[in-house]
Amino acid sequence: MKNKVLMGLAAIAMVAVLSSCGKKPQAEIDATNAAIAAAKTAEAAVYVPAEFTAVQDSMTAIMADITVQESKLFKKFGPAKLKLESTLALANKVAADAAAKKEEVKKEVETTLTGIKTVIEENKTLMSKAPRGKEGAAVLEQIKTEMATIEASVVEAQGLYDKGSYMDALNKIKAANDRATGINTELKEAIDKVKGKGKPAVAAKPAPKPAAKPAAKPAAKPAAKPAPKK
Amino acid sequence: MRKSWRNELIFAAIAISAPLIVILLIQFTPLPPISEMKFARESLSEAKMNNADTYSKTAFNKAKMYYDSAMINWQKENQKFIFSRNYEHVARLAKLSAKTANQSYENSVSSTSNLKIKIKQKIDSLNDLLSENTELFTTYPLTSDTRNRISMGKMLLREAEIAYGKGQYQQANRKMTDAEYLITDSYNNASSNLKNYFKSFTTWKSWVDKTINTSKKNSDYSIIIDKFSRKCFVYQGGTKKYEFDAELGRNWVGGKRAKGDKATPEGMYKIAKKIDSNKTKYYKALLLDYPNDEDRERFRAEISRGSLPPNATIGGLIEIHGNGGKGIDWTEGCIALTDKEMDIVFKIAKAGTPVTIVGSTVDLQYVDKR
Repeated sequence: MKNKVLMGLAAIAMVAVLSSCGKKPQAEIDATNAAIAAAKTAEAAVYVPAEFTAVQDSMTAIMADITVQESKLFKKFGPAKLKLESTLALANKVAADAAAKKEEVKKEVETTLTGIKTVIEENKTLMSKAPRGKEGAAVLEQIKTEMATIEASVVEAQGLYDKGSYMDALNKIKAANDRATGINTELKEAIDKVKGKGKPAVAAKPAPKPAAKPAAKPAAKPAAKPAPKK
Repeated sequence: MRKSWRNELIFAAIAISAPLIVILLIQFTPLPPISEMKFARESLSEAKMNNADTYSKTAFNKAKMYYDSAMINWQKENQKFIFSRNYEHVARLAKLSAKTANQSYENSVSSTSNLKIKIKQKIDSLNDLLSENTELFTTYPLTSDTRNRISMGKMLLREAEIAYGKGQYQQANRKMTDAEYLITDSYNNASSNLKNYFKSFTTWKSWVDKTINTSKKNSDYSIIIDKFSRKCFVYQGGTKKYEFDAELGRNWVGGKRAKGDKATPEGMYKIAKKIDSNKTKYYKALLLDYPNDEDRERFRAEISRGSLPPNATIGGLIEIHGNGGKGIDWTEGCIALTDKEMDIVFKIAKAGTPVTIVGSTVDLQYVDKR
């Protein structure tokens, strides 16, 4: 009687052990997948792409391990469970890192938007002081056109920012800022050049000296062949 | 006593056969393709690290599809009774996945390298084009539409440079392609217009030569206006004596066609009248005998073929006058000098002094080199 009871208890214990090792950790799988999905929603693929790829790869490997265990007669999901726990933690970290990076990019866009508006206003002031020699006037005309293009880019960048596409907004506003800063430097250099030579800011070209000075440009050469009559 | 022997025998039989059964089960259980799946997974991972999902998207997606199919099939087989399982199809899919992933990796590396070189070359070439043409087109006016397009092209080029710097080659390529279209198309149109402008160079040259010869022959003054260079040359006895900056009509490109077109005419003229400061608002003025016979003939031809409205008039009152020095082409068609320079010209000129207005005194090749 005693032996029968002992054998029965041993059988029950064996079944319990085998069944607990052999149970697929579905709850842990679902939790980890949910965490990865949350990281994707947090735009981890955009803001922390390498980290996000790593966590996805990790999950892919774990699922393969689980499938291997399911192929076996005596399944052991213990190691997979542990890996799922660490991948879950990693996915949560990736989501947090993505949110932090997104905030960082957002701040950078805001700063650049504010900065470029200041540069644009300064450029407008500088344009009124820029030298207006013969070529200066044509250059200013081109600068005016470029300023309009820059302002259009700022509006586009603002639109992208308002939509939450901070990375796209950043790329656009950086390009516009570089152009605006380039124009700012060009205008300042032109104004400083004129100031440095002691000429008035709005400069007309000086009259050339009379005939004693040889003309720099070649005079019209005598016709080699007769020209057609107009 | 006999009963306990029998129980012990049964127990022994179970104890011996149970492990045998387990060993046999393990031996004859079909093996899943673990190594093949691992290799496929690693190949996909490496391909993705090398941006195959961007630069060899079709192949990469195919490789991923094979892997996913392999996993699904594997899980399906696992549902079956252990001895009914067949993992051959899973292994096949895994091998296909690995092979396709490796192909996508190689394609990606090759595409990225080629694309990177192509983009860099294009960016450099566009920057060169912009530098080369900036000076030329500060003199020759671009239409506002052309200026807008060039400006947009420059912005896109800068966006392409930023994307290139970040390794975003596909985006850089897109931006650069748009920039290239805007910039090259605009400059091609502008260059074509410029070449058209210089088609009359031979005629202009003959006028200039005649004017200088007249100055030499008469040992007197002649005036030549070079519109492209915005210059007023004063010749005495066939030798250039003065050179002044000149400002022209807003639409100085091409000849004058009608009144109000703000164009400065081209042709051989003479000073018709000297106008003192008390009779002009432009400091001092020298009235030219525009329109001449050629101008009238051209005007009549335009009216009769309908390229000018029937009520158009030819215009007149083209002068060389003062109040210049604004740095832009601002007149209604006249030639403006600074007051100081106008004093010089006014002094030497008289009624009948030749004034020849040409598009350019030098040809386009010289302008380009300069």
